[in-house]
Amino acid sequence: MTHHDKKGAGLTRRSALLSGAGLLGAGMFSLPRMSFAADYPPLGNFPDGASGDSVFVGIDVPLTGTYADAGADEQKGIELAIEHLNSGDPLIKAISPKTSTGILGKKVTSGVADEQAKANVAVQNATQFITQNKAMVVIGSVSSATAVALNHLAQDKKVLYLPGISGSNDTTGKDCTRYSFRECHYAYSASAAIVPVLLKELGKDRKAAYLTPDYTYGHTVYDSMTKFSEAGGWKTVTNQLAPLGAPDYSAFLLNIANSGADVLVNIGFGNDAVNSIKQAKQFGLLDKMTLVMPYLSPFLAKQVTPDLMAGVYGTTEFWWTYGEKDPLAQQFVDAFSKKYGYKPEWGAHAGYLQIALWANAVETAGTFYPPEVIKAYENGEHIKNSTLGEVWWRAADHQLVRPVFVVKGKKKADMKSDDDYYDIVEVVPGEGIMQAPDAFGCKLGDAT
Amino acid sequence: MLNWGNFLSQLFNGLVSGALLALISAGLTIIYGTLGVLNLAHGALFMLGGYAGFVAFQATGSFVAALVCGTLFVGLVGIVLERVLIRYFYDRPDEDQILVTFGLGIVLVELVRVAFGSLTQSVPPPAWAAGITPLGFIIYPTYRLVVFGIVAAALGALYLLLYKTRLGLVVRAGIEDATMVDALGINIQRTFMLVFGIGALAAGFAGIVNAPIISITPNVGDDILIECFVVVVIGGVGSFPGAIVGGIIAGEIMSVTSMFDPSYSAVMLFAAMALVLVARPQGLFGTR
Amino acid sequence: MKKLHSGLPGLVILAAVLIVAPFVLPQIGANTDMLSRILIWGLFGLGFDLIFGYTGLLSFGQSAFYGTGGFVAAYLLVSHKIPDVFLGLAVGTIGAALVGLIVGLLALRRTGIYLAMITVAFAEMFFFLENSPLSAVTGGENGLPNVPKPEIHIGSFDYAFDSDGRMYALIAVIFFLGFLLARRIVNSPFGHVLTAIRDNPDRARAVGHAIQRYKLAAFVVAAAYSGLAGGLEGVLQSYMAPDAFTFDTSGQLVMQTIIGGAGTLYGPLIGAAIWLYLRSMLQVVGFGPAWKLVLGLVFVVLIVFLRRGIAGGIRDLAAYLGRHRAEEAPAVTTRTAAPTLRVVEGGGPAKSRGAVVLEARHVEKRYGGIIANADISFAVTEGEIRGIIGPNGAGKSTFFKMLTGEVLPTSGQILLFGEDVTRRNVTEISQMGLAKSYQINQLFQKLTVRQNLNIAALARTRGEFRLDMIRHVDEVPNLNADVAETLRLLNLTDRAEALVSELAYGEKRRLEIGLALGTGPRILLLDEPLAGMSPQERADTVKLLRQIGLTRTMVIVEHDMDALFGISDRITVFNEGRVLVEGTPSEIQGNPAVQEAYLGGVHVA
Repeated sequence: MTHHDKKGAGLTRRSALLSGAGLLGAGMFSLPRMSFAADYPPLGNFPDGASGDSVFVGIDVPLTGTYADAGADEQKGIELAIEHLNSGDPLIKAISPKTSTGILGKKVTSGVADEQAKANVAVQNATQFITQNKAMVVIGSVSSATAVALNHLAQDKKVLYLPGISGSNDTTGKDCTRYSFRECHYAYSASAAIVPVLLKELGKDRKAAYLTPDYTYGHTVYDSMTKFSEAGGWKTVTNQLAPLGAPDYSAFLLNIANSGADVLVNIGFGNDAVNSIKQAKQFGLLDKMTLVMPYLSPFLAKQVTPDLMAGVYGTTEFWWTYGEKDPLAQQFVDAFSKKYGYKPEWGAHAGYLQIALWANAVETAGTFYPPEVIKAYENGEHIKNSTLGEVWWRAADHQLVRPVFVVKGKKKADMKSDDDYYDIVEVVPGEGIMQAPDAFGCKLGDAT
Repeated sequence: MLNWGNFLSQLFNGLVSGALLALISAGLTIIYGTLGVLNLAHGALFMLGGYAGFVAFQATGSFVAALVCGTLFVGLVGIVLERVLIRYFYDRPDEDQILVTFGLGIVLVELVRVAFGSLTQSVPPPAWAAGITPLGFIIYPTYRLVVFGIVAAALGALYLLLYKTRLGLVVRAGIEDATMVDALGINIQRTFMLVFGIGALAAGFAGIVNAPIISITPNVGDDILIECFVVVVIGGVGSFPGAIVGGIIAGEIMSVTSMFDPSYSAVMLFAAMALVLVARPQGLFGTR
Repeated sequence: MKKLHSGLPGLVILAAVLIVAPFVLPQIGANTDMLSRILIWGLFGLGFDLIFGYTGLLSFGQSAFYGTGGFVAAYLLVSHKIPDVFLGLAVGTIGAALVGLIVGLLALRRTGIYLAMITVAFAEMFFFLENSPLSAVTGGENGLPNVPKPEIHIGSFDYAFDSDGRMYALIAVIFFLGFLLARRIVNSPFGHVLTAIRDNPDRARAVGHAIQRYKLAAFVVAAAYSGLAGGLEGVLQSYMAPDAFTFDTSGQLVMQTIIGGAGTLYGPLIGAAIWLYLRSMLQVVGFGPAWKLVLGLVFVVLIVFLRRGIAGGIRDLAAYLGRHRAEEAPAVTTRTAAPTLRVVEGGGPAKSRGAVVLEARHVEKRYGGIIANADISFAVTEGEIRGIIGPNGAGKSTFFKMLTGEVLPTSGQILLFGEDVTRRNVTEISQMGLAKSYQINQLFQKLTVRQNLNIAALARTRGEFRLDMIRHVDEVPNLNADVAETLRLLNLTDRAEALVSELAYGEKRRLEIGLALGTGPRILLLDEPLAGMSPQERADTVKLLRQIGLTRTMVIVEHDMDALFGISDRITVFNEGRVLVEGTPSEIQGNPAVQEAYLGGVHVA
């Protein structure tokens, strides 16, 4: 493993290992910094939630139901980040330089609740975290429906909310709120990233069939993909709208088979993706067409098996082999796999980075007072070092400007280890793949 | 513009999925007809079959072994459940039976979730059945054809059991009048146990047969259960031929409507059910 | 009289709990938001308990109404079509009730498992409608955010329910009012009929209640409660989620009600408290996703061992203790009191012979190829006591069923008081003044003797259907007095508060007659009233029948010839589905054809 000498980090292998051990001793904390609570009026859970020697993070993820695996993965990434914060791990300090241990000297505690992939339950859990635990931030989501619901709750309750996985354009579009910040990639940026690669690798003269889950996330990905692909010369021959959770895709696959397409763009997520791909294989479509997954869900390759994913193009928020290019990414991958025994999927990474960036914002603000933290998020400063390289927040719609990974499925024979499912084809920089901030109707609310 | 190739494919598709539904519903309907119990845990038994087969497949690598083990396991579970729990409910009001099987279904699903997690599990189709078969001008996955064959054989076996064996005679008599059968001195207890076991067997069998087509998760049985209700209502509660005809009809409704507007498939199914309830409440073949 | 739902102490406790809860319960982890949600489920459950606990209709589809109420209210408020939250909630509730009416009209045609299945199907339909075709209005899988909080503006007084505490107070008040209303409904005559429907719907129908209309009314009320609860959820969260429409929601409601205790009105609230609290606590202590397994097991265990749930169990315990403390007088057969009262008088003038009140003309009943009754012509005059005898299988019971409207004749006519009633149903005929007491007891098993008689009396005084949900059953004029007379007549006064399951066989037979009598019929049909009785019981019952027969027309099927011949004016003999012969008792006794029919031949000594 090579080490780059990142300025300011001075990392050695030994210290990386030590921090990976996750020390949580009470004596690790520096003196609490004075947070001048008297200077700011009460708002949301401030100052109650921040007046003691700890602050609470509410983890609201699905642990049962369709997206449970991604949810569990997210939880692990978040908890790892919290552990690193409390121990002052060098990785966290690299991302959030002002961090010593904890946040503003306070220990970070957390609780997790199962949202069961139901927006209702997610809202209930979050409310519980906010009122009962005095959470200073709520984090987690796999479906955009929950993310959107929690966006609004956050605005209502004046407590920060950080989505984990949320692919719809609307989360920082028409459903954006002043109190939420999205780290992960989404329909527009994913499409903008993958289409040039597809045009290069597959050519400009292609006929694409779309298999779209019939809900907002699906529609936005379809809109973005067709916008870019058609501009590049591709023809959209059919759009098959499948109900969410449909077990049998034969109707749609038959239509696609007869459409004359040579590319199948599958927008399905989670279980829907697994089922539709398996059935597409059974209908012989994967032998005739190239499969493109513009928004890969976590663990897809594992569930579908590499036989079906070989040669498939997709985008993901993070892929663990990126560690070969970026030492911070590698540190993350190492810490995670050491603690949990498998390579992190992108839910875990999104969770980790969200916490790290939150810590950064709070330390920059010097207080937990929400409007000040929001200002810190919005101040336009670039975060020089992260597991994704340089990233920064866009003030106008609270979307993180960050690269998108375009990956390609590996043949089973080429896999060097159990989790080595994808080759990273390109890491597309964030700046060029984002829409104008108001393109999707984002109107941030008030901070107070 | 109707694409005839598509249409025919869909018709065929409906036949295949309908046959599967018919098998599961047949189990549900003979349990209700004989024991008078509406088994709301039936979907969970279907799911259990998938998982049992998956475990067997992981252990042996053989699809046939998976099929056999999965089916037998669920049949055994059915017998145990009947002996340990269900039989105490025969004299209880209908609602109690519905409720206890409903609760049982939830417990089974959650047990599986705790044991296996929510990750989707896969069972690949056997090598000899993978690939596609050209059928005239439509292409069709070979495995689905195989499923149709297997399910038809299973339904045939069930038919032989019901109409050509002594047990089957007792079962059909019991469907008509359980008290009388009991009064005749036939061991109705043992019959009930076997019937529940057979019904569970059918559901479990369907579960593992279906696994290569749709992935198995703990909740995979939920929608199947509701579709079975529709089949049983359309075909007539307690009627084996009703389950077959109802299953085919339901399968076809879902397949054909999905050609036009997929989001309406399920609604069309329920609309058909409502229609039957209004026009002929006892179903096509039912008598009560 | 004994209410179906006991009173004041429970209410006081409930009010106290509601007031104290938000101060005490957060200490153990149940914050105000959770308490509000518990109340919303409790409100949702009040409606469900009404149809399930009290009427016996198991619906797995209440989510359809919950979601409808919620989304109608949320949509109107979010799109600013209605400015006031309370008005929005009201419209949502009404919308849900309307939907309940439509669904009820279709679904309630069936009962038992069919009803359960239909309600599931309807609920699923609504879910799909919400998710796809109507998604522009409902927000599809995203739901509707930004539902406003309620506010009150009266003059210069402005009050916004914008905190957890205020919302709780509002919801608690709404729940309490909803509870009072539900309690009123349960204690009303309407509510009493509901319990009869749960217990023995056929008898309720036969006694003169139009049970389908009662069921539908109850169903609509339940839908309204559901809709209000759904609307409140949207307002509480400021967000209306699509999961309101899922099968899970209906299933959770059912489970909570069973756990808490169906048929108690408190049950759904208790069940919701247990469910929501445990769901949260189990996760906090580390059970993680296994929380649902634990709750599922609790549910199954309760169904097996404590079917009446927690509240039901408490109530049973209290009743058990109460009953054992009271003195039980043994059932003593005493002379029946002299008839002076309305019930006995049969609602008509004292015996006036002459007019034909009940007639069958060439009535025939076939079942496929089997002829149960052939060419029966039969007429009974007012005040007559007619006996019917015949060997088993002669078609007597089938004939009776045609007279009461339970079975439709294949051909022929039946006239009651001169009107053709051939195609009328049993409820209509009962209301016209013809009642039957059954050969095999058809009582309301889970009710007391008094409650049984109430059901019959309520049909007489209120007709086949009356929407008197708000009235208290004690306000029905003369109900208690009438029932007291009937009890006296039947010699069951001491047993008035006993459950039917506690009665001796003879007492049950008397009650069976009493049920028919309680509807105040002018014509009383009795199907083997003496069956299974001891000699002493027979003698007493014959006395009773004489008494009743003084002021009404009676037709009695009996095998006890001595008794029957002793009290009848005329006898009709049935054989092999036909009328063999008719005449006075002495004529019939000597008739050789009759002897042959019964004995297969007679030897003239």
